[in-house]
Amino acid sequence: MENSKDKKKPPFKKVLKKSCLTFWAMAPLLLGTIGLVGLFQILVSPQMLAALFHNNPWIDTLIGTLSGAAAAGNPVVSYLLGGELLQQGVSLYAVSAFILSWVTLGFIQLPAETSILGVRFTFYRNILAFFFTMIIAVMTTFTLRLFI
Amino acid sequence: MKKQPEKPFAFRGKPFFAAVLTGYAILAFLNFSGAIAALQKSGMILLKILPILAVVILMTATINFFLQPKQIVKHLGKESGAKGWLAMLFAGVISHGPMYAWYPMIDDLRRHGMRDGLIVVFFYARAIKIPLLPMMIDYFGLLFTLILSFYILLGAIAQGLILEKLPSSDIEY
Repeated sequence: MENSKDKKKPPFKKVLKKSCLTFWAMAPLLLGTIGLVGLFQILVSPQMLAALFHNNPWIDTLIGTLSGAAAAGNPVVSYLLGGELLQQGVSLYAVSAFILSWVTLGFIQLPAETSILGVRFTFYRNILAFFFTMIIAVMTTFTLRLFI
Repeated sequence: MKKQPEKPFAFRGKPFFAAVLTGYAILAFLNFSGAIAALQKSGMILLKILPILAVVILMTATINFFLQPKQIVKHLGKESGAKGWLAMLFAGVISHGPMYAWYPMIDDLRRHGMRDGLIVVFFYARAIKIPLLPMMIDYFGLLFTLILSFYILLGAIAQGLILEKLPSSDIEY
């Protein structure tokens, strides 16, 4: 029985070719997203993002979430920038929100996400991630303060 | 579960790609060296994620080869249970590279019956970057890193559960 099932299975080469085609079909979306990331990294400097904070913990948490979502690039940059922001007196709430939204939200990838996973799903996922990023940033700071 | 009909090959996102190219053309007109620098940055990003894309393609093919749609539904579909949630948490934590590199694989699994809540779990759990944990500990401390990672995992599950309660987050094809 199992053997007859296996015989019906297409060879791995064929399955691999199909996967390659699936990715190739999405090449314009992926290349467009990569192109946007490149543009963003040139047009928006980390200093411009850091200048957005106002030393109000609650407003800064919102700004941290939004600026992290607008930023693009390796998460390492968010840690470096987050460390600098902390030294400048920006609250840990805002910095936590910033480094978290950097990896969970992304305005730049919205066109690709919408096109591949659908408008409704993208909307729900991003709204949930947006609110949860702020909640987690606040809870992390509160919990940390219980220990130190 | 009805099998999705196979679609003929067609590129997706051509207008988006054209819009980005237009953005580059405008930037080149206003600031040529800026456009070249942006293009170089994009080229570097592409080179960096090519190996990741190769791994994702290979993973997609391997999953499709070994798991029939029925099995995908069993492991990642509506009846997947706690194992499905834990598997996607783990997959999210160990996955590497930018989020958009994973869209095609997730789309493929979704077409085969993967539930939307698990996709949300996968994407949010990706906030934990294992190779970068030492750096995060160095910048923000061990306790902060542990607490944040714990809340990320909890938050990922909570978002997945909430998404499944929302109306009509069904597949949109």
